[in-house]
Amino acid sequence: MISFDIHMKRSEFLLDVAGEFGDGITAVFGSSGAGKSSLLDCLAGSIRPDSGHVQMGETIWYSSLNRVWVTPENRRVGTVYQDGALFPHLDVRSNIEFGWKLIPEHKRHIDPLELADFMGLSNLMSRKPSTLSGGERQRVAIARSIAIMPSLLLLDEPLASIDSPRRGSILNYLKRVHAEFEMPMIYVSHSISEVVSVASNAMMLEAGKVVGFDHPTALLPYVNNSEGIDKFENIFDGVIGPSTDYLTTVEVNGVEIWAGRQRKSMGERVLVSLGANQIILAAQRPANISARNIIEGKVVETWSNLGKVFVEVDAGPKFIVELTETALKDLGILMGCDVFLVFKSSSVGVFDT
Amino acid sequence: MMFDIPVIALSLQVAFVATGLTLPVGLIVAWLLVRKDFRGKFFLDIVVSLPLALPPVVVGYVLLWLVGTHGWLGQISQGLFGSTLAFTWFAAVLASSVVSFPLVVRSFTIALAGVDPKLEVAAKGLGAGSLRTFFTVTLPLAQRGVIAGVLLGFVRALSEFGATIIVAGNIPGRTQTVPTAIFTRISSGDTNSAWRLALVSLLLGVIALAVHNWLLNRPRSPNTTGLNRLNNPSS
Repeated sequence: MISFDIHMKRSEFLLDVAGEFGDGITAVFGSSGAGKSSLLDCLAGSIRPDSGHVQMGETIWYSSLNRVWVTPENRRVGTVYQDGALFPHLDVRSNIEFGWKLIPEHKRHIDPLELADFMGLSNLMSRKPSTLSGGERQRVAIARSIAIMPSLLLLDEPLASIDSPRRGSILNYLKRVHAEFEMPMIYVSHSISEVVSVASNAMMLEAGKVVGFDHPTALLPYVNNSEGIDKFENIFDGVIGPSTDYLTTVEVNGVEIWAGRQRKSMGERVLVSLGANQIILAAQRPANISARNIIEGKVVETWSNLGKVFVEVDAGPKFIVELTETALKDLGILMGCDVFLVFKSSSVGVFDT
Repeated sequence: MMFDIPVIALSLQVAFVATGLTLPVGLIVAWLLVRKDFRGKFFLDIVVSLPLALPPVVVGYVLLWLVGTHGWLGQISQGLFGSTLAFTWFAAVLASSVVSFPLVVRSFTIALAGVDPKLEVAAKGLGAGSLRTFFTVTLPLAQRGVIAGVLLGFVRALSEFGATIIVAGNIPGRTQTVPTAIFTRISSGDTNSAWRLALVSLLLGVIALAVHNWLLNRPRSPNTTGLNRLNNPSS
């Protein structure tokens, strides 16, 4: 567990945040300039705050009161940067082993080769970073950080420089890394979809202050899309099913979803994305409708703020649906209600994992 | 011809030792200028560049005072060796070092500034201390600019005349370098042998500058060409 209370002033910008993050994946979310990266820098020790404290488990990393300061190289915090920050003069293997080699031999608990295999990098070991794709680079960056068995893994917008279709794949790697190595992770992002998909808790920052700390979906209605923040996308793992001439089905957790025709073979694993604002909720099963997908589910949760409502519907996979307060009232939708999710096959995105 | 060999040898010796001095000191100063914020940085920057702005004769004169019986360098060497450094080959090394220093630091500064500080932060985060980070990340990435700076400093040291003749003199067999020897030969009307040494200078200068320019202009590494990336479009 990491706890912090940080105050810092840099010219016009004021960072004033406190919190306690557990061993799961915690997201720090907000628009650019909200102070997300500054918070990470303070936790990693690359910036020294003006006052406050940072404590990892029993170890104090920073305390202005007791004049404690642990330097970044002594904190064992792994950081994955937006662009990977791989060492361009070293090949993939030397990058992964950079920090690992600095650990005394008897304390090395991770085999870099096994780790590379786990991250799907085995056949890239002798390549230079400049020859890798964005996704490959981030996987190397994650492996390089994991190899030092960090007490904390910080991810600073790790998907920002990756094409959106490939983002889900890195998110899956992150979830696997977390399950395998059980280290606390802090995931910084301005994309609420990533946050909901990967994190168990989320802290929302605005102008250097904490404005919310909750389950990620609970923050959905508070997200202001005008500030360069992506609209929410549901992201699911799926398997390609049978196709017709113009449509392809994807099976997601026992539910069949119709998407546009895919050039993929049956049984192939894919990622499915669907915008929360692309789904219509119906109280009864609609008849004679052009939309190809009509899926029955149960309302399990709703969150609302200033007329915006997000409803979570359990239909096997859990869908997040965005609607307005008035629509919710007119439909008479309550928790536990049976509802139908309606959306067009063209709204469904299908991507490689 | 026979008289040229010791002159060229001494010149090379002076230039090599001067380069050996300016390399580490230059790296430290350049690193301070690029990566650190401190009081007096503005002043340090000016002091480092000053020899560029001064007539070398003035640099030599200041050095002569420093290494003389009243200067602190002179007093140290008198305490250690019983004599001042003035009019020794090491005085020529000092002259060459000081005059080439601004060029060396300028090249190093540009080279170090080209290294993304984020990579250094990443190295520290992975457990590398400041020194290790410098030698395993910063220096390898700045390598070409640093080597280019060393070469530039070396040719400048080889061709140093004004400061050298003041502080080291022009003593044949002891402190006479290629430039000061050329001066003597021109003064005494010995044009043939003056031309011979001038050609040697020209040759050394052309070689060093050619290597310098080649280092700075060649593509970073064969791996960074777009072609390679096109051949590996997998994710």
